[in-house]
Amino acid sequence: MRVARGTLLRNLAGSIGVLCTVAGLAFGLPALDNALPAQRPAGDGPYQVGGRVVVTPPPGARLDVTLTRPGDTRGTVVFVAPGAVRYVIVVTPFKGSLAAAAERLKSKIKRGHEITGTERPVRTAGGLEGLEGSYAAPGRAGRYLVFRAGDVAIEVTVAGSAPALRAALAAIEASTRTLAYRGGTA
Amino acid sequence: MTPVHPTPEWARPGKSLLLPAFWVVLMLIAGGAVRLGLFVRESLAAYPTATLLALVLFALYAVPFCVFVAALDYLEREPPLLLATAFAWGGLVATSISIRGNAAVHNLVAKLASPGLAAEWGSALAGPTVEEIAKTLGIIAIVLVARAQVNSVLDGVVYGSLVGLGFQVVEDVVYAVNAVAVAGGGDQVAPVVATFLLRGFLAGLWSHTLFGALAGAGIGYLAVRTDRPLFVRLFVAVLSVLGAMAIHFLWNSPLLSLGGGAGIFGDLFVKGIPPLLMILLLVRGVRHREADYYVGQLAALGDRRIATEDELRVLGHGHLRAGARRYAHGRAGVKGRRAVRRLQRAQARLAVELSRAHGVGLPGLRVSGAAEPGTAPLDPALPPAVDPFDPPETGLIDPTTAAVADSLAAPGATEPVDAVGLAQAGTVEPGGAAQAGVVVGVARIPDRLSCAPVLGGPTAVRWRDRVLVERGRMLALGHPEATAPLTRNGSVRRVVGGIAVFLVAMITVGLALIALGAS
Repeated sequence: MRVARGTLLRNLAGSIGVLCTVAGLAFGLPALDNALPAQRPAGDGPYQVGGRVVVTPPPGARLDVTLTRPGDTRGTVVFVAPGAVRYVIVVTPFKGSLAAAAERLKSKIKRGHEITGTERPVRTAGGLEGLEGSYAAPGRAGRYLVFRAGDVAIEVTVAGSAPALRAALAAIEASTRTLAYRGGTA
Repeated sequence: MTPVHPTPEWARPGKSLLLPAFWVVLMLIAGGAVRLGLFVRESLAAYPTATLLALVLFALYAVPFCVFVAALDYLEREPPLLLATAFAWGGLVATSISIRGNAAVHNLVAKLASPGLAAEWGSALAGPTVEEIAKTLGIIAIVLVARAQVNSVLDGVVYGSLVGLGFQVVEDVVYAVNAVAVAGGGDQVAPVVATFLLRGFLAGLWSHTLFGALAGAGIGYLAVRTDRPLFVRLFVAVLSVLGAMAIHFLWNSPLLSLGGGAGIFGDLFVKGIPPLLMILLLVRGVRHREADYYVGQLAALGDRRIATEDELRVLGHGHLRAGARRYAHGRAGVKGRRAVRRLQRAQARLAVELSRAHGVGLPGLRVSGAAEPGTAPLDPALPPAVDPFDPPETGLIDPTTAAVADSLAAPGATEPVDAVGLAQAGTVEPGGAAQAGVVVGVARIPDRLSCAPVLGGPTAVRWRDRVLVERGRMLALGHPEATAPLTRNGSVRRVVGGIAVFLVAMITVGLALIALGAS
């Protein structure tokens, strides 16, 4: 059982072609992606998160475009505040109560983090009622806020090293107070 | 030039081991298997019930697709190992490539344009480009590993659809487990069921299996139609892959979407069904071309004991074959159904073996009386010189020989009757073998040809005898012909019935999704 030399060479060339294309898709594209910066200045004006929710980013914050996905009924935005503090707002369709939305967010946080302190009510400048709490993981501290507006739930998480979070918190709290729902009844 | 290139008799599966492509494919599948294995292990640890349910549901989901592909592939069956390789490429290699490639394309769109564009058009851009290329590579890999097994455009469709099916099943399992994680409610089954209904039914019929079939048709054409200029074949192949990409793009894009809660049903009728019908028509065309070729092999024998005119008509169509089996069941019970199924199988195998003998340009079977043994091969297009149902004495077995052959078969008659064994058992004309070779059934095989290793002849002879054995069984059951009477408006009834079942299924799935509260 032998294979003709010509067949073998053609097969080798084809195999190399397949392998190169696989490598191009699986490694070339990610390498190209990594070569481009993921963050850009977030700007000063109101930012459309998605699901008809807007927010004014903290001064000097940068937008992580690879994780930010606005949409008509839902949306996610990831800002990176000075000190590498991640400020994430997630808007999802939700029909339950504010307490239920808070429970859902906490159940996500509890995968890898621990809820600390007590939960307290908060209110945005536009009148959105919400709940606020804190959480922690080794080497990291975090705050969470959750709001109900119209047919969506707005989940906010802020996380970073404890000193960086302390430094950025005032600007981020000012930003969360600008959260607004522009879809009618809040 | 025929639309089919039969697998030459000299083709050996073991030869693939000597090809670099085999080892490349093996390595990539092993890598994909490790990756998927890790995902399944982690998912089982986090959500055991939901993950298990997702695996079971989508494994069952693959069954009707496999049955459909098997029906397409009835006449010239592909080796199961190659079919499994195609499925594994789709499920293990193409998905692994696509997970990385898709994320990169989404990010690149967001970086080079905007996150909004990535959110709205990212799937429409990443899916067709990365996923379709990754799947098409699988079909190309199959051609590289086992070129001799890709005999027709239909074979490309079969391998392409299996690559697509593998991709679809694994992707859906991943989506289902992710839906459980996103729901945040722990090990729940509701997100799995919702994903199954949404991605399996509402979005599943015109998904990767269909795209893969279209791309496979193009690659099959490129590999098989060597009678056409290379640039024409390349053009057709590129056009089919671009067609698969375009349909995928349309489905993933917000174009023509109605939006709202009922939007998925609108998408289904506007973006799902038209491509489904278009590709099914294409597949029907290539299947008929292949069926005509193989049925022509039997027709060329002109022997009604091998296949009657009605049986030839039935053999090329899956629904007619099934109808013939049902009719036999009605007339002769389970035994009749089984006999018809075995006859059809034997006829198909005989047709393939005849094509192999012709495909290498050497004589295989000869119709006795039409040509003297040892002379030039009989042109298969020529009608037989004798009436097969009224054969002359020389070289032909009496029409009742099939029953004789049956009695001579091994217990249970599960193996084809050995050609030489029949000759030695004295069922042939005395002296025939000595003078003109071995006479078997209605075939006369010259001595030197029966020993020739490159011929499809001896295998074809075995299948011809099997046909006669099964014919004998059917005669004994009082149901001599594997056909069914034509029903009036049967096709219209089937189409209308199919549409009705489809609509009822879609409405049921939609109601179930609403009940599950899927958004």
